[in-house]
Amino acid sequence: MEIEGYHFPDDLYYDKEHCWCRVEDNVVVTGTTDFAQKMAGEIVYVQLPLVGKSVTQGKPCAALESGKWVGRIYAVVSGKVKEVNEELEDTPDLINGGPYEQGWIFKIEPSNLEEDLKNLMQGDDLVQFIKSEIIRVAAEKK
Amino acid sequence: MYLFDLGKLPGQQSMLIFHALARMGVEALVIVSPKNPLVSIGYFQDAGREIDLSFCRENGIPFMRREVGGGGTYLDENQVFYQLIWKRSNPRFPVEMKRIFEELSIPACETYRKFGIEASFRQENDIVTRDGKKIAGEGGGDIGACMVLVGGILLDFDYETMSKVLKVPDEKFRDKVYKSMEENLTTMKRELGDIPPREEVVKALIHEYEKVIGRFESVALDNRIVERMKTLEKKFTSDRFLFKKTRKVPKGIKIRGGVEIRYGIHKAKGGLIKTVEELEQETIKEIGISGDFQFYPKDDLSTMEVELRKTEFDQGKVNNKIEQFYEEHRIQAPGVMPEDFTKAIVQSESEGSE
Repeated sequence: MEIEGYHFPDDLYYDKEHCWCRVEDNVVVTGTTDFAQKMAGEIVYVQLPLVGKSVTQGKPCAALESGKWVGRIYAVVSGKVKEVNEELEDTPDLINGGPYEQGWIFKIEPSNLEEDLKNLMQGDDLVQFIKSEIIRVAAEKK
Repeated sequence: MYLFDLGKLPGQQSMLIFHALARMGVEALVIVSPKNPLVSIGYFQDAGREIDLSFCRENGIPFMRREVGGGGTYLDENQVFYQLIWKRSNPRFPVEMKRIFEELSIPACETYRKFGIEASFRQENDIVTRDGKKIAGEGGGDIGACMVLVGGILLDFDYETMSKVLKVPDEKFRDKVYKSMEENLTTMKRELGDIPPREEVVKALIHEYEKVIGRFESVALDNRIVERMKTLEKKFTSDRFLFKKTRKVPKGIKIRGGVEIRYGIHKAKGGLIKTVEELEQETIKEIGISGDFQFYPKDDLSTMEVELRKTEFDQGKVNNKIEQFYEEHRIQAPGVMPEDFTKAIVQSESEGSE
């Protein structure tokens, strides 16, 4: 779906840190949203988590830099890092070009998926949250 | 929101303070200068690649990695740092990175103006004078549940020591960095002829921040914060954190937004080519080429350096210029083709790595 110019695929789950996840069989693919990449601007560095590292839902586990700002990337669900998108190390702006496709950041082998998904947003909850964020951005611009 | 007007703190503490407060979720403005010099590198930098460790150790200059962006820099008591910490959820602050820097740089710009220096914010995140010289750099980041913006008012700047603390390929490059900094970086002392009293600058800075954010409640450091700083110091100065391998391979040194000194090295069949180039807005402003290759007529190497000025820093454009030069000047350089020079000058990502 499109929310005021920001793209949010319907089949994904979202958290309030502007990260997304897609459930593919027993693996969860994660990344940062279109809204987040637009707020950040051109991403120049990405620090990926180590494969095998345990991550906890809502806790930072990776980082990126845009315009001398270091932003954190949060684990959307708990589990173990199964794979990372190594291409981002040389071409971090893949996130700007396609945050949900070639700009995916890492994959997690979830440990508590069913419960974790209950804490994430889709549909109306997401629209409401993003609209409140957009209002904040629009207020800044006035 | 609290105000910590801390005067001068021992080197690393002046930077540890904002890391501690952000982790503790304390919204505040910190004004501080380091009592003794230190070197600070950006979060995505590796101390071993960015800093001349021997120089720092021989001269007792500590170094630390910070959790905000930007590059390596030399800090001393002639810089007044402003560190603003706020909770990510605080609606009073911008969300968009560009706006964070733009809006929260206003107090620093106004402070300079109060002392008669016309300063304004310029992408990417520098404060510059009317003639485009950098007079403050800023960086920021998410730390804990907070966001942090850090910048420094330059009362004065030690250009020479700054050029010495950086890891560079050779002295020629270091000299170039020094000269470019002198040309592109200015200070209150340079602009005004004298350093204004620190307390007056601090007073103005706080006043300007209050105009943007509202009244501060002035507080002092308490034991809880000091303890947190001590804990963090262990992490921030540990080899594991300082020498954390990152993929950020330095290919040069950024002097200010749009100005960069880069170096290149390429092994051609006919010998090693080394280059040092100053780029301004992605165009070669000046270039120096050296190495152990043969080049005839000899004097034409410096002519080629002059010809390369004002060339866009683009592989195709640089190569065309060199090919044309070879042809027009009938260059004889055994085992060194125009593309070898191009490779040294405009290195690709993989060639640029160690």
